[in-house]
Amino acid sequence: MNFRYMAKELYYQRRRSIIAAVGLSIGIALLIILNALSIAYRQAAQIPLKEIGADITVQRAGDVPEELSGAVFPCSAVTIKDSEVKKLAELPGIQGIGKALLLWVFDPDRAWIVLGIERDNQVGPSVLQYSVTEGRFIRSGQAEALVEVAYARQFGIQVGDRVSISGSEFPVVGLVDASRATKIAVANVYLPLKEAQRLAVESKQLQSVSPYAAEDVNLLFIKADQGRIAALSSSMKGILGDRAAIATPDSFLKLLGSLFALSDKFTLAASLIAIIVAILIAFKTMAGNIAERAKEIGVLKAVGWTNRNVALQLMGESIVQCFVGGVLGFIIAIIVSYGLSFISVSIPIPWEMSPTPHFLPGGGDQVYKTLQLPVTVPWSLAAGSVLLSVVIGGMTGGLLARHIARIKPSEVLRHD
Amino acid sequence: MTDSAILSGVDLRKSYGPLEVLKGVSFAVHPGEFVCLVGKSGCGKTTLLSILSGLEKPTTGKVSLDGKDITDSSEDELALFRRENVGFIFQSFNLIPTLSAWENVALPLFPMKISPQQQRQRATDMLQRMELDHRMEHLPSALSGGEKQRVAIARALVNRPKIIFADEPTGNLDSATGEAIMSILHRLNDEEDVAVLMVTHEADLAKTADRLIRMKDGEIVS
Repeated sequence: MNFRYMAKELYYQRRRSIIAAVGLSIGIALLIILNALSIAYRQAAQIPLKEIGADITVQRAGDVPEELSGAVFPCSAVTIKDSEVKKLAELPGIQGIGKALLLWVFDPDRAWIVLGIERDNQVGPSVLQYSVTEGRFIRSGQAEALVEVAYARQFGIQVGDRVSISGSEFPVVGLVDASRATKIAVANVYLPLKEAQRLAVESKQLQSVSPYAAEDVNLLFIKADQGRIAALSSSMKGILGDRAAIATPDSFLKLLGSLFALSDKFTLAASLIAIIVAILIAFKTMAGNIAERAKEIGVLKAVGWTNRNVALQLMGESIVQCFVGGVLGFIIAIIVSYGLSFISVSIPIPWEMSPTPHFLPGGGDQVYKTLQLPVTVPWSLAAGSVLLSVVIGGMTGGLLARHIARIKPSEVLRHD
Repeated sequence: MTDSAILSGVDLRKSYGPLEVLKGVSFAVHPGEFVCLVGKSGCGKTTLLSILSGLEKPTTGKVSLDGKDITDSSEDELALFRRENVGFIFQSFNLIPTLSAWENVALPLFPMKISPQQQRQRATDMLQRMELDHRMEHLPSALSGGEKQRVAIARALVNRPKIIFADEPTGNLDSATGEAIMSILHRLNDEEDVAVLMVTHEADLAKTADRLIRMKDGEIVS
């Protein structure tokens, strides 16, 4: 392969070189963008759970309480026994479990959605400590309450006030803007888990619907090995039974509804089409190049170039063109991805994951998590695509070697 | 006839389907000989030249070049053989338009294991002999017809061949330039002792050869 010859051919035939590179760049850009979008949707689907410090949430559906008074369980979150939690913790791939207790409390003068949380557990709603807008986060072992800022505003609750929930009084130590943190398991008031468990144990109404012991909970936040989430989901169902409601990034991906979100197969098929388009463009360019340069190839052979010499020379040109096309495609993809990163997507949060009594204001409204699509081009994808373009360049050169061999100098040089 | 020949063809026949282009031609060129092949258009001159130079295979017959039977050689073997033993000059020069004059001259050397510096030096030497050293970096499009053909001659000589095949080398040139090219070919033939087999239909040019071979309807007639 003669690099001087290659460089001059590419430079002086730059129109042809540019058309080939631009054609290929479209295929490569398409490939990168499709995959970047697919990755972005996957990342977006993880966000609602990540915001609550988990990869998976686990609940169990139950019956609707006959009478809405005192502390009750929402029908979407009934008892998960402590023994079941221990079994779940032993599953391979589980990295941590955060426990919580979600209650509806119907007091004579007010209804509360109460979430009992583990203050010192890094997994789960302890992330709320970063969304305290006034006052402070609850302390370990203290019977304190944190009130959601919108609720506090609605009912004129302030830091330092005392609130009465199901007959127990709690000092309000802080206000929290939960909407900043998450859309899952959003409550009006946050209590230490132990306090919420005490309210649950003492509630006859709750016990009549779903037997409950002191250490039980009804909401789990789980950190898990990403590669095992799907398998864990079915293992958990095996432990908790058919009424278990397990939310994973995949379940949010389905809720997103996009073609990219719906199916890996779509991305794979679209990527394959992009690759085939890129191959066809490279192939057509190379074939056209050979046809256009038949006489030149004839001269090369006449002066002593073997078929291999000629094929290597043209393959080198094809590789350089395809490499330039790959880099150009990468640049196009970066620009387009930047534009796409301004797209907002709204992920619907199922009512069951943040249950609010329907008869309360806003109780029947669909809650959405709206976020900007995190479209970025991973370096591995970019490098892989550029490498692929080089392989396509080499492959087309190799595939067309037979065409080169068929060119007979005596025929192409005959009619001078 | 063929013992001392640099090039010989024995009973060469070539058919394209039912059309018989060469009808049993036997032929030899000796070292340092300047041979002209003349005849009307379509008489088989170029086909014979292609077969003798290894660009094409005869339907039957045998070709020997520098004592080696090349009749059954593979295409790549023939290419390697041409690289070391043969030079070509074409009617329409057939220079590579994207390469400069010296690069065109060095073209046969590109696949050889010779350093780029040596390739350039050998090409430069050849262009100096063609009095084209001032045109080394020019593209073919910037050269006159005569200059192009001199570049083509330099390319034909750069691999120090034993024989040059010239197919109507003056066909695209005016008469004065054509004569100048012929003069160069004769000088090289004398000085380098390189054999020349030239196809032409110009009788005046043919007369300057050591030997004249006339063809008619695929046969040698004199």
